[in-house]
Amino acid sequence: MLLVIFIAIPFIGALVFFLMRNRSINTPFITSTILLVLGSFGLKSVFGGRPLTYRLPFSGPFVPTFQADPLSAIFVMLAAFLWLVVSIYTPEYMKHEGRARSFDLCTLLTLSAVLGVFLAGDLFTMLLFFELMTITSFFWVVHRWNKEAVRAGYFYLFFSIIGGLFLALGIVLMGAATDVLPAIGAGFVTPLDSRMFTWSIAFFVAGFGIKAGMVPLHLWLPHAHSVAPTPSSALLSGLLIKVGAYGLIRVGEFAGWGMRLGNKVAWLGPGLAILGTCTMLVGVTAALLQSDAKRLLAYHSVSQMGYIILGLGIGLYLGPDGSLGLLGAIYHILNHALFKAALFLGVGIIYIHTKETNLYNLGGLWRRFPVTAILMFLAVLGITGAPGLNGYASKTLLHHAVSLAAKTGMPWVVWVERLFLLVGIGTAASFTKLYYLIFLGKTTKLEVSDDGSPRLQLAMGLLAAVMVGIGLRPKFFLKAMAIPAVRILGMEDAAASLVGLSFWNLGDVTGMIITLILGALLCWAGLKSGVFHWQPPVWLTLEGLGKYAGLGILALWRIVAKFCRSLVTAVRVAGKAMSSRLDLAIRKFDQSRSGTIGRFTLTGISADAAILIVILAFLIAWYTLINFGLPSL
Amino acid sequence: MLNLILALSSGVVGGLIVAMMPQANHRLRNLVVLVFSASGMVFSWRVAQMVFAGESVKIAGEFGGLAWSLAPDPLGAVFGLIASTLWLFAAVYSFGYMAQKHKQRTYYTFLLISLSVTLGVAFSGNLVALYLFYELLTFATYPLVIHERSSEAVKAGSKYILYSLSGAGAILIAIVITYRWAGNLDFAGGPILVGCLKPGLSWLLLLFVGGFGVKAAIMPLHRWLPAAMIAPTPVSALLHAVAVVYSGVYGILRVVYSVFGHELMGQLSFASILPWIAAFTILVGVAIATQQDVLKRRLAYHTISQLSYILLGAFTLQPWGLTGAILHMISYSTLKVTLFFCAGIIAEQTGETKVSRMGGVGWSLPKTMAAFGIASLGMIGMLPLNTFWSKYYLMKGSVAGGRWPLALVLIGSGIINALCFIPTVVTAFSGERVRSDTEQGGRVALMLAPTMFLAAISLFIGLWPGIVWSGVQAVVDWFF
Repeated sequence: MLLVIFIAIPFIGALVFFLMRNRSINTPFITSTILLVLGSFGLKSVFGGRPLTYRLPFSGPFVPTFQADPLSAIFVMLAAFLWLVVSIYTPEYMKHEGRARSFDLCTLLTLSAVLGVFLAGDLFTMLLFFELMTITSFFWVVHRWNKEAVRAGYFYLFFSIIGGLFLALGIVLMGAATDVLPAIGAGFVTPLDSRMFTWSIAFFVAGFGIKAGMVPLHLWLPHAHSVAPTPSSALLSGLLIKVGAYGLIRVGEFAGWGMRLGNKVAWLGPGLAILGTCTMLVGVTAALLQSDAKRLLAYHSVSQMGYIILGLGIGLYLGPDGSLGLLGAIYHILNHALFKAALFLGVGIIYIHTKETNLYNLGGLWRRFPVTAILMFLAVLGITGAPGLNGYASKTLLHHAVSLAAKTGMPWVVWVERLFLLVGIGTAASFTKLYYLIFLGKTTKLEVSDDGSPRLQLAMGLLAAVMVGIGLRPKFFLKAMAIPAVRILGMEDAAASLVGLSFWNLGDVTGMIITLILGALLCWAGLKSGVFHWQPPVWLTLEGLGKYAGLGILALWRIVAKFCRSLVTAVRVAGKAMSSRLDLAIRKFDQSRSGTIGRFTLTGISADAAILIVILAFLIAWYTLINFGLPSL
Repeated sequence: MLNLILALSSGVVGGLIVAMMPQANHRLRNLVVLVFSASGMVFSWRVAQMVFAGESVKIAGEFGGLAWSLAPDPLGAVFGLIASTLWLFAAVYSFGYMAQKHKQRTYYTFLLISLSVTLGVAFSGNLVALYLFYELLTFATYPLVIHERSSEAVKAGSKYILYSLSGAGAILIAIVITYRWAGNLDFAGGPILVGCLKPGLSWLLLLFVGGFGVKAAIMPLHRWLPAAMIAPTPVSALLHAVAVVYSGVYGILRVVYSVFGHELMGQLSFASILPWIAAFTILVGVAIATQQDVLKRRLAYHTISQLSYILLGAFTLQPWGLTGAILHMISYSTLKVTLFFCAGIIAEQTGETKVSRMGGVGWSLPKTMAAFGIASLGMIGMLPLNTFWSKYYLMKGSVAGGRWPLALVLIGSGIINALCFIPTVVTAFSGERVRSDTEQGGRVALMLAPTMFLAAISLFIGLWPGIVWSGVQAVVDWFF
């Protein structure tokens, strides 16, 4: 029952907000505070190993079921916290954006849908809230309703719809493979038909991968996240794409965490790892070339989702030894949510005051916004993985997992490890660039307005405080929340894998520092040489390829449509010609048999008709007057 | 028995009363129409209740040596329920839509008579009754199609008659052959042709499917349907998206499950091609729909595509496929009627019939476009709407029958559906926001209320498919 209340609170909040006259009350703030408090009391028992479940008393094919295991609880708390932070930030920001009311309404409804996905106990319920989330967050993306926003909105909506259809197909195939649909949080599945099972898993991965921004299904993400108003960008990047990651973890659960994958799904681990690496690479490369701050951050969301997907892939690949990968992924989900939200909020503050997000037009702003500059610096350190902040903890875990895999595994894992380091350098470089161009460097010529509110910094400060806390005590989250979650998912010896691990050993710390220095150097070189201004030719980017593919399909479609249309026209014309010729022939034949009787001209057909009528009349007269009754056949 | 007679006769009686009433008294006439369509609905619900409870409801007779019978089974009851319920909505909508139109008396007379005839199709107990009512339906709805009386309308009407009658001719021949082979035309005792595996059986199936396929708008027999969109919108919504076209679909369901039976169908080579014909219609129909600029024509081609979803489910010959087909009969009808109603409101209130000129319509008609948006999401098959469930079971049936590419066809059709409707909704809300009173007033309220109520019903069934589940299961259990 508690679980339904969780989902209902934001929904009721939205209803109240919709009907309320007084709009000065910050409903999202109140709702998420209630949720946070309720969650910290109500979901505590979950971590003790007692998952909550609840079934709505429905009949028929759809019985909505809800469950909360530690994994769900982590995500629920994270969502409530992020929404709380952003709702502190929103009222001030939306003064500059306009239409705050509809924005808040979407925010509340999206929170409800997101919680629904995390607390869903069966696949249908999950899909239901997943689709609702798509619809409500669509209104975030198109909030400005200008041409660019609508275009990004289309992108977002179509990709999400296709993702939803893939998930539906995945459920169908899962049903065909297992007879009874597996519940979420009920462990691995033993399929009756492993061919259907493997396809089902593939469609699930594609469906959730679209949401998670997995290459090559990420094309919508940079557009949607950069065009939305900043608070919603923070939530989209911070939490909504994590819903995809959450789904992937659940898919991994169907395949089986902590076991050598059989049932024809052995491809899942390496597949996810390789896709994750590609995602990291593509994201970071594209991010380096961006000049718009929000787009840069959006591409980094792609790249950081790559880390998470890589962690999941390594976790599945290593089977029983893979708990580090899964732990790292879950940890990185939390950390990325925190620092990416902080980064977006910081860029939003700059945007309010300068109305500018192009990095090359900004500069030297640390004097005007010292607090924001410090908070941004913390967030940048977080995402680049500097020791002492939260990103370091999860990246170290992931790195350990990857090198563990590289020691035992195949050559491709070795390459994954090398690329992992390279992406770290790239991340450092692009954030040095972001920070340098906004806060340091030459002072901007733009007019900077000065009506800031401490509430904006307060929101960022909350995030930064949690980040520093995690960075200083990296094992707390792992012990208290992540390990129970992973253990219930099936990794029994998760705690054991952490025994020998220390976050503050010399090798990891120096490695990270070297990465940061290399990144800074790369950034310096890039800015000096002007490489960052390089625009890749269209055919080289995935977006360009996607565009060409789209145009190709469109052209093909046009050709086929034209061909079909001409075919139809040809048939119609031929038919008409034939019928008119037939008509003419009949007339001619008719004329040839015509003659005149006295003053009447009698054509052939009228003569035929006359004969027929006479015969009919004779028959009728015969059967009715002379020989009663119908002829027996 | 009494309920059955009352359900069948309420339309005809109401129609005759309306025909004898004076032309000018609109209010009284609307009342009569409302009362008689409501009574048609109530008594069909009673009949359906009795059918689902397992009681036998039957009227039979004979004329000219031909035995006819009216004996609804669960499938007929479901069809009767859908038709009569939506009739009430369409009647209310008509009060708003037709308020300033000409020839209202004729319109309402034939609207009510068509209700009786449609229920006759639904409740028919053997092929003779089915054929008679099927044929009558063409004539009862013809005056509604040519309601405009323009030359274009008359042309569309002739096309409709020509197509329908040729189809009916094929059915007549097929019925005669069936009678020769089986000596029996009753649906009650299991499939008619069970046990007569003859070489010509595929041809018989072709005749039946071709005949009923005209009204079910299987490509390439679909051309009358877009032409018939000249009719007033409530007629397009009710008859050309639900009642008339469903009578064709219903006929095919009968042929597959009551005349041939799924076991015999499984042995025919022609029957294994049929799902692919349906798949072809699904994809091509919706693809053509994306090319149409006139909203009603777009909806018409979309209807063609969606009807084949039902046929696809029927042709899979799987219990799950039939479940999907019956669910789709229910859920598609509510959504499509909503879409047509919205199109009618837009055309009446703003004068726009073309999709390309609907930019910004959403701001002057927000509720209408919201309902339109909900229905479009349903056509894609997204979850909060009822069509998800039908699509799910259709896919499940296709996979269970070993034809998994058909599931991909359904997914692809969902994507094309999105391309077909989403841009309409989004562009309707882009552009300048003007506050206007286009959506105010009693006349619009009469049109808007049924529209929004139907959208709400679709949402409700989507969230709780259990509410229709027992009916659907009764149909499936009846045939399997």
